[in-house]
Amino acid sequence: MSFKEKSIWISLVSTVVIFGDYFLNILSLSRLPAEIAKTTALELSLRALFLIIIVEIIFQGMLAVGNRKAADLGADERDKLYEYKGNNFGYTVLVIGVFISLGRIVFLEMNPQFMAQTDVLNIPLLTAHILLFSFIFSEVVRFSAQLYYYRSSY
Amino acid sequence: MATLPIKNKIRELRFFAEEMTQQELAELVGVTRQTIMAIEKCKYSPTLEVAFKIAEVFGQSIDEVFQYQSV
Repeated sequence: MSFKEKSIWISLVSTVVIFGDYFLNILSLSRLPAEIAKTTALELSLRALFLIIIVEIIFQGMLAVGNRKAADLGADERDKLYEYKGNNFGYTVLVIGVFISLGRIVFLEMNPQFMAQTDVLNIPLLTAHILLFSFIFSEVVRFSAQLYYYRSSY
Repeated sequence: MATLPIKNKIRELRFFAEEMTQQELAELVGVTRQTIMAIEKCKYSPTLEVAFKIAEVFGQSIDEVFQYQSV
């Protein structure tokens, strides 16, 4: 397994674990009172952000120290090609997520009578969370697509 | 991923170059060992630049190292 592939595995696993836990916690906020839920959502977001930065720095750093030669070489042409292909998949997912969010905003603006029904979810900052989920999911798709190409080329 | 139509003689050329390792060739060309492995197995088609560099390492012309086999 190449240095770049290991690096992508680290990013994929840390993103899935940290943000998987984050989104599960966000769903459980619907049982809390609105004000407490809002504060807790903010705390969870900051915790997830802090954790992903720390975990990436530690594990990517350990990987680079253990593979100094490969880290110095950087990405070669095959790495760049797979990165480009992965980005295409990730971008498509992100655009779909953004359009779903926009559609939801416009739909609720035009049909305010449905607003009460979305309150059933009672998740604070729901639009922001849909957008964040789209972004995280697009990252997972991007990493997975890159790993698929790496695995297929052996 | 399907095998690509560009075949090559890199494995054979490495053998005749005193059993040069994939790692040695990778370092001479400036790519990773895994990329050389993928090229050898026809799972990845290199850019012209890398193809020329590989041919140059073995002192061959590019068409002696790589062959296009139309299906």
